[in-house]
Amino acid sequence: MLRLSLDLLANGLIYGCFYALMAVGLAMIFGVLKIVNFAHGEFFMIGAYTYVLVALNFSVSPWLALPCAAIGGAALGWIVERLLMRPLYAGYASWGFMKDEYAVVVTFGLSLLLVNLVDKVVGPYSYKGPALIETSRFALGPVMLTGQKAIATVVAVFIMIALALFLKKSVWGKQIQAVAQNRLGASLAGIDATRTTSLIFAISGMLAALSGALLAPLVNPSPDVGSFPAIKSYVIVVLGGMGSVWGAMIAALIVGVSEAFFSVYGSYDYRDAFGLAILVLVLLLRPQGLLGQKGRDV
Amino acid sequence: MKAGPASLWRDRLAFDARAAVLLCAVLAALPLVITGPYAQGIILVSMYFAILSLAWNALAGYTGQFSLAPAAFAMLGGYTTALLDFYWHVPLVLAIPAAVVSTALLGLVLGKLVLNLSGPYLSLTTLAFAEIARVVIGNSHEFTRGDQGMHVATLTESRLAYYYIFLAALVLVLAVLYFMLRGRLGRFMTAVRDDAIGAESRGIDVVRVKMIVFCTSCAICGLAGSLYGTFSQLVSPELGLLQQTGLVLAMVVIGGMGSLTGSVVGALLVYLGSEWLRELGNVQVIVFALLVILFARWVPGGLWSAAVARIGRKQA
Repeated sequence: MLRLSLDLLANGLIYGCFYALMAVGLAMIFGVLKIVNFAHGEFFMIGAYTYVLVALNFSVSPWLALPCAAIGGAALGWIVERLLMRPLYAGYASWGFMKDEYAVVVTFGLSLLLVNLVDKVVGPYSYKGPALIETSRFALGPVMLTGQKAIATVVAVFIMIALALFLKKSVWGKQIQAVAQNRLGASLAGIDATRTTSLIFAISGMLAALSGALLAPLVNPSPDVGSFPAIKSYVIVVLGGMGSVWGAMIAALIVGVSEAFFSVYGSYDYRDAFGLAILVLVLLLRPQGLLGQKGRDV
Repeated sequence: MKAGPASLWRDRLAFDARAAVLLCAVLAALPLVITGPYAQGIILVSMYFAILSLAWNALAGYTGQFSLAPAAFAMLGGYTTALLDFYWHVPLVLAIPAAVVSTALLGLVLGKLVLNLSGPYLSLTTLAFAEIARVVIGNSHEFTRGDQGMHVATLTESRLAYYYIFLAALVLVLAVLYFMLRGRLGRFMTAVRDDAIGAESRGIDVVRVKMIVFCTSCAICGLAGSLYGTFSQLVSPELGLLQQTGLVLAMVVIGGMGSLTGSVVGALLVYLGSEWLRELGNVQVIVFALLVILFARWVPGGLWSAAVARIGRKQA
C-alpha cells in the first residue's frame, strides 16, 4: 500500500513537471496579454513532432533533436505573436472584435489549423518516439522508473530552474515581469514592450515544445496529442491563479499527483474528466487560484 | 417614430431579419430545383449548422460570451433523446422537447459556475466541459454504448419531410432570436457585450442577461442536436467534437458576428464548401481554420458587415 502510494506520488510528480513546462508558458502569456492561448496544445504537438521527425528522418541522436524541437516551438511562438497577436495591443482604433473575443477566435482557429495541417502533411498515425536513453525498467527504492522517464524528468527540472533564474535574475526576465505588472508603466520606463511580448511567446512556445519532445517517447504523438495536455494546463493555470508563474508550477505538481492517485483509486476511464472536477471546485471555492490576486469578477 | 438609437437598432435588425426570411424562402423553394436526396441531405445538414450558428452568434456575437461548447450541447441534446427513447421508449414528440429542457438546465448549471467571472473563463470552462462530456459519453460503454453511438428512432423516413422539419426549426429559432433581440433584452445584450462595467453601472443585471442568453443558446443547440439525431438515426460522441465547434465558429466569423443572416449564410457557405473540399481531399478544416484567422484579423465583421457597408455606400 505504502509502496504503491510512493510509486504513484513519484509518477504524479514526474508528470507534474511536464505539465508545469506547458502551464508556465500559458500563465506567462496570460500574465502579459490577459488572453488564453487555445493553441497551446499545438505548441506541444509541434515540439513532439519536430523531435520525432528530426530523430527518425535524419537519424541523429535524440539529444540533438531536443534543441531542434525547442527552436521549432520558439519559432512558432514568435511567428504567431508577430502575425496575429499585435492587434491586441497595437491600438487599432476601429477594432470590431474586442480583445478577449479576438484572442479566442484566432487561437482556437490556429489550433484547428495546426492539428489538421499536421494530420494532412505528416499523416494521422501516431509515431513511436525514440527514447533519449535505452534502458529497461529499474527500481529506485520503491519507485519503478524507465530510463527515459528519469532522464526526461531531470531535463524538465533543469529547464524549470533555468527558467526561474532567467525570470528572476536576467535583464530580459525582469523586463518580462515589468511588462506583466504594468505594460504602460514598463514602456514609460524604456522597456520595449512589443519585443518583450514576442520574447514571451517564443519562450512559452519553446517550453511547450520541450514538454512535447520529452514526452514524445511516452505518448507516441498523433496530430491531436496536444489537446489533453492543453486542457490540463488550463486547469493548472486556473488553479494556480491566472498569470502566476509560481502558482502554475505548484499547481502542476498538485494536478499531476492527484491525477495519478485518482486514476488508481478512482476510475481510470474517467481520469481525464477528473480535471474538470478540479476546475469546477476551484471556480466555486477560490476563483482567484492558489497564488492569484483577487479582482477577477466583472 | 422618433429616430433614436433604439429605432436605429430596430431598423438594422429588421433589415437583417428580412434578409434572413428571404433566405429561408429560397431554402423552402430549393427542393423544387434540387431533387436529389443526397443534395437535399447536404442542405439539410447545413440547416442544422445554421441553427447551431444562430445559437452561438446570439451568445458570442450579440452578448460577447465566447462559449466553446455548442457542439457539446448538440451532442448532449441528441443523447437525451436517444437515451429516453432507448431505455424508456418515450415517444419522440416528448423526447425532443425533453432534450431542449435538459440542455437548458445543463446550461443553467454551467452558467451559474462561470458567468459571473470575466474574461476568458467562460471559454476555458466550456472547452473543458465539452471535451470531458465527450470523453465521459465515449467511455460509458454500459450506458451509452461508447464510441459506437446509439440508435435513435426517427420521426419520418422521408428526407423531404425532414428537410421541412429542419427549415421549420430554423425559422422558429430565427423568430425566437428576432423577438429576443428586438426588445429591451436585445439592447441589454449588446450593452453587456460592448461594456459590461458600464452596463452594470446603469443598473443592468449583467449576470442575469448572460444567463438568459446562455440557457437559450444551449437549449437551441440541444434542439438541433436532438433533431439531427432522429434524422440520422444515430447519435455518437463525434457530434461533440471540437472540430464541429470549430465549424460553427468558422460559419459565424465568416458570415458575420452579430448578424442573423450572416450566421445562416455562413453556415450554408461553409458547409457546402466543406463538402466540396472534402472531395478535393479532406482539406476543409485547414481551409476554414485559415479563413477564420484571416477574417478575424482583417474582416472582423464578416461577409454580412462587408455587404452592408457596400450597400450603404451605393445608396449614399
